Amino acid sequence: MSHRPGRAQWLLRIFFGLFAFVLTGLPQSALAVPSFARQTGLACEACHTVFPQLTPFGRVFKASGYTLFNTQKVEDIDRTKQSTLSLSDLPPISAMIIAGTSSVAKANDADSSKVSTDFPQQASLFYAGRISDNIGAYFQLTYDDQSGSIGIDNTDIRFADVANVDGHNVIYGVSLNNNPTVQDLWNSTPAWGQPFISAPSMQTPAIPGAQIEGAMAQIVAGLSAYTFIDNSLYVEAGVYRSALQGQSVANNGNTTNNIISGVAPYWRAAYEWDWGKNSWEFGTFGISAALENPTTPAGNAINNSLQSAPTDRFLDAGLDSQYQFIDDETQISIDARWTHENQNLDASYVAGFASNKSDRFDSANLIAGYYWHRKLGASLGFFAVSGSNDPLYLGTASGNSNSSWGTAEIDYLPWLNVKLGLQYTAYMRFDGASSDYDGAGRNASDNNLLYAYLWLAF
Amino acid sequence: MKLRLVAILVAGACLAASLAFAEDNAAGRAAEAKATTTCQDCHGPKGDSTVATFPRLNGQQADYIAAQLKNFRDHSRSDPHAQAYMWGMASQLDDSIITELGKYYGGQTPTPPQSGGALAAEGKKLYLSGAPAQNVPACATCHGAHAEGNSIMPRLAGQHADYLKKQLEAFRSTLRENDIMHANTKDMTDSQIEALVSYLAND
Repeated sequence: MSHRPGRAQWLLRIFFGLFAFVLTGLPQSALAVPSFARQTGLACEACHTVFPQLTPFGRVFKASGYTLFNTQKVEDIDRTKQSTLSLSDLPPISAMIIAGTSSVAKANDADSSKVSTDFPQQASLFYAGRISDNIGAYFQLTYDDQSGSIGIDNTDIRFADVANVDGHNVIYGVSLNNNPTVQDLWNSTPAWGQPFISAPSMQTPAIPGAQIEGAMAQIVAGLSAYTFIDNSLYVEAGVYRSALQGQSVANNGNTTNNIISGVAPYWRAAYEWDWGKNSWEFGTFGISAALENPTTPAGNAINNSLQSAPTDRFLDAGLDSQYQFIDDETQISIDARWTHENQNLDASYVAGFASNKSDRFDSANLIAGYYWHRKLGASLGFFAVSGSNDPLYLGTASGNSNSSWGTAEIDYLPWLNVKLGLQYTAYMRFDGASSDYDGAGRNASDNNLLYAYLWLAF
Repeated sequence: MKLRLVAILVAGACLAASLAFAEDNAAGRAAEAKATTTCQDCHGPKGDSTVATFPRLNGQQADYIAAQLKNFRDHSRSDPHAQAYMWGMASQLDDSIITELGKYYGGQTPTPPQSGGALAAEGKKLYLSGAPAQNVPACATCHGAHAEGNSIMPRLAGQHADYLKKQLEAFRSTLRENDIMHANTKDMTDSQIEALVSYLAND
C-alpha cells in the first residue's frame, strides 16, 4: 500500500495552504490605516464621512492640534512633574497614491492625445500627528507626475490647547501653514474643497480663480491664531508672507513674481450648529494681498527689481456653508462657496497689461454628495466664475473669463481607505462663450472630460 | 507609653488614609480632565451627548461604564462602533482611571425619558411585564422599576432612541455579544423594539 498522498489529498493540502495564506496574508484593517488612525486607534469613520471630508469630531481633532492619541509613548518629566517629552512609539507616517486616466472630448491641439494616463498621478508621504502634548503637524511631501518633481505640499503645524471658561469649552491655538484655508475645519473653503481630486492640469483648461483659491498654495507662509468655542464658534486671524521654496526656484524660470508686499492679512469666522445627525456651518473668510511684480491671466508679467516693484492689490472676501447628515447608512454633504475679489490693477494697468484700472471677479460653487454605507457614493457639482470685461488682462477672445461647468461623480470604496472614482466634467461656458471661445473654433464642450481614478491611502 | 503607641498608630493610619485619598483624588482629577477635554467631544458636556451615535453617559451606572471601558480595552465588545471609536480610546486607560471615569459620569444628572404616546404605553407594559410569547422577560427585573439600572446593568431611561434601538438589534443578531441579552432579545419583534425605545428614550 502506498503512503504517498493521493490526488484528493494533494488538492486538500493546496486548498488549506491557500486558505491559510489568505487568512494570514491579507492585511488586517487595523494595520492598513493612515497616520491619524495609527495615532488615535480610531477608524476612519470617526473623523471622516469619506476621506477627505471631515465629521464634526474630525473638526475637533484638527482644531485640537492633531494631538489626540491612544498609543504607547516615550515620556519624560522634570522635577516638578511637568511633562517635557511625549513622543508616540509609533511614528504617524502614512502615504497615498493616486492613479488616473482621463479623456477629453476634443484634443487640446493637433499634437496632443485625447487620452492621458498617469501612474502614479500623484504619490504623497505624510507626517501627520502629534509632536508633543500641544503641538501637532500635518506635513505632506508630494511627487507629481506632471512636473516629474517632488515638493513640499500642504503643511499645517499647530499649537493648540483647551480651556474651560465659564462652562464653555474653548479650544485655542496657532497655525503655521503654507496655504490660506489649509488650516480650516470645513470642506467648503478652497484648500480642502471639492472636487477633492481632478484630472491632471494638462487635460483640464486653465480657469482663473480668486487669489485665495489656490494661487498662493505652497508659495506662502502664514501664521494665524484661532479659537473654537463649544465646537461651534470659530474665529481666526492671521497674516501671510511670500515664501520661496527650493522647488519653485528650480522649476519656475522667474521667481520674482506675485510676491506679497509686506504681509497679507487673513480672516475667518464660522458658526456650526449640530443637532441630531445634522450639522450646518455658515461662515466668512478672506485675504487682502498686494502682489509685487504681478503676472496676469493673459500671461504677461512685470519683472522689475523687487526693491522697487509695483503692485496689483487684491481683496478677497467669501461666504461659505456646509451641511452634513451623518449616520451609519447615509452620509449626505452639501458644500457651497462664493468668493468675491476686488482687483486694483495699478501696476498691470500702467504697464499696459490691463484694460481697466480695477476689475472685479466672482467665483461660486455648490456641490451635493450622497454616500451609502460609506461604500457607494454619487455627487453633483455646479461651478461658475464671472468678472469684468478686461481683454488685455484676461487675454481671451471675448474679453472676459466668464465660465460655468458642472461635475458628476460616482465613487466606490471597497475598503474605507480605497476609493475608485469616475468623474465627468461638462463645460457650458468657457472664457466668455459657449462656442468658438478662442477664435479658432474650440467650443466649451470640447473641454468636457471623463476621468477615472484610484486613490489609495495607507 | 501605650498612649503614645496608640497615638502613633492612629497618626500612621490617618497618613495612610490621606495618602490613599490623595491618590484617589489624583485619579479622580485625571478622569475629570480626560472627560472634559476628550470624552466630551463625542459624548457631550457631562456626558449629555447630542448625537445618537454616541450614547449619553450622564447618570449612567458607574459599574456599567467601567465594565464597558474594560470590554473596549480587551476587545471583548466588538460591535462596529466599539471597534471604530472605543477600542482606540480605551486602549491606554488603566484600571484606576476607568473606575474614576465611571464615578464621574455616574455622578452627573441623568436625562429623563421623554413622555411618549400610545407606543410608549405599549413599551411600558413590555418593560414592566415582558412578553412571554417571545421569551422576553420583564426588563425591569434587572434594569430597575424606572429603568435606572443597577451596578453592571445599565440605566436605559433617557438614552438616545437610535442608540437603544441599535443595541437591542445588535444583541438580537449577536453583532454585540452578550449571552443574557441575546437570550432576552432573540425572538423580539421590530415593533416590540420600537415600543420599548419609545417608552425609555429621549431623542
